[in-house]
Amino acid sequence: MRYLLFVSLWLGIGCTSAYKGVRSTPVDHCITSFKPQFSRIIYSTQVDVVGRHLSGLLIIKAMPDSSIRMLFANEAGFKFFDFGFSGDAFTVYHITEQMNRRSVIKTLRKDFELILMQHIRQSPSVIKKDDGFYYDFAKGKDHYYYITDSACTKLQRMERGSRRKKIAEAYLGAYTNNMPDTIGIRHFNFNFTIALKQLEEDAAE
Amino acid sequence: MRKVCMAGMVLMISLLARAQHPGYSAMKDEAAFKAQFKETSRKINTIQSDFIQEKNLSLLDDKITSRGKFWFRKENAVRMEYTSPFQYLMVVNGTDVYIRDSQKENRLSSRSNKLFQQINRIMIDCVNGNALESKDFTVKLFSGANDHLAELTPVEKNLKTMFRSINIIIDKKDLSVSRVEMYESSGDNTIIRFVNRQMNVNLADALFAVR
Repeated sequence: MRYLLFVSLWLGIGCTSAYKGVRSTPVDHCITSFKPQFSRIIYSTQVDVVGRHLSGLLIIKAMPDSSIRMLFANEAGFKFFDFGFSGDAFTVYHITEQMNRRSVIKTLRKDFELILMQHIRQSPSVIKKDDGFYYDFAKGKDHYYYITDSACTKLQRMERGSRRKKIAEAYLGAYTNNMPDTIGIRHFNFNFTIALKQLEEDAAE
Repeated sequence: MRKVCMAGMVLMISLLARAQHPGYSAMKDEAAFKAQFKETSRKINTIQSDFIQEKNLSLLDDKITSRGKFWFRKENAVRMEYTSPFQYLMVVNGTDVYIRDSQKENRLSSRSNKLFQQINRIMIDCVNGNALESKDFTVKLFSGANDHLAELTPVEKNLKTMFRSINIIIDKKDLSVSRVEMYESSGDNTIIRFVNRQMNVNLADALFAVR
């Protein structure tokens, strides 16, 4: 009996949701005010994935049709990928053969949709936790969480995962011209981080 | 009549060449140029130069410009050091490669990566002129007022996926490579201009150290 209790307690802890808390009914929200307005920006980029390191430049550009293009190339100009985001639509304009795997594209797409805030809609549900208010925007089985202070004056971080499990989190640095100067993405299910720092281009160029 | 047709064809080819590369026309004596270029390249043991790299992307209205220093030593050692607007160092010495970015350094062998091996080969062959003899490309030669242009079109499968063509611009004064233009199928391109070129200067071994 004591053993059963012990097991059930452990099972209970093991199944604890990362997003357990007081969940509100859908509310109007303030998250839109934190949405970055990318016009044209270049980030110096560091990627670490399962022991491999990659660096380069990530270019984010708003296109005339209001879609967002995201292109990653190494310093010498070799292009790794070129993606387009427009609402729920996603386009792969280019991807190098080595990266052309369904799982790689899906992971990158979701990570970038998290930071672009592509899935914020009206009326998310809100989870109140000790470390902040979690605004939960569901897209199929995926959930995109934006965590703010109680007054919603500061976006503390972003997370994505399911209703139970956190898969990745992201931080945006200080905004200049409505664009963050740094961006960090960290995964929890495998060793994968992306660090972006705005590149100061020569004024003459 | 046949002479008129021939003259017309020559004129057409010449006009096509000009349309393809404004300011250039098809080279008249390719064999003589190749021999002269080969002989000049044979005498060049080292190159030291500054470079300006321009990346032209169809999605951007402007270009991304970076600058740095370039060193080459026969047979197959290259050091490219980007200094602005980012720090990035790549040293290729034979099949060994050393890369240092703003965060980390990495040593690898291009033997394990065919793609990397091909890129290294192109880079070195473009500088020392061997690309004109490469079996991986078909080569067309053109001449302009101040320089020659070698248009390289890849025939090898992997290279075809990366490049539509590569142009090597060769200065008429000293037959040194002044510019390399790499065109992708998408229309995007990377142009590297070599400026302040110095040939056969003494270069320290440390510049090409990869270990």
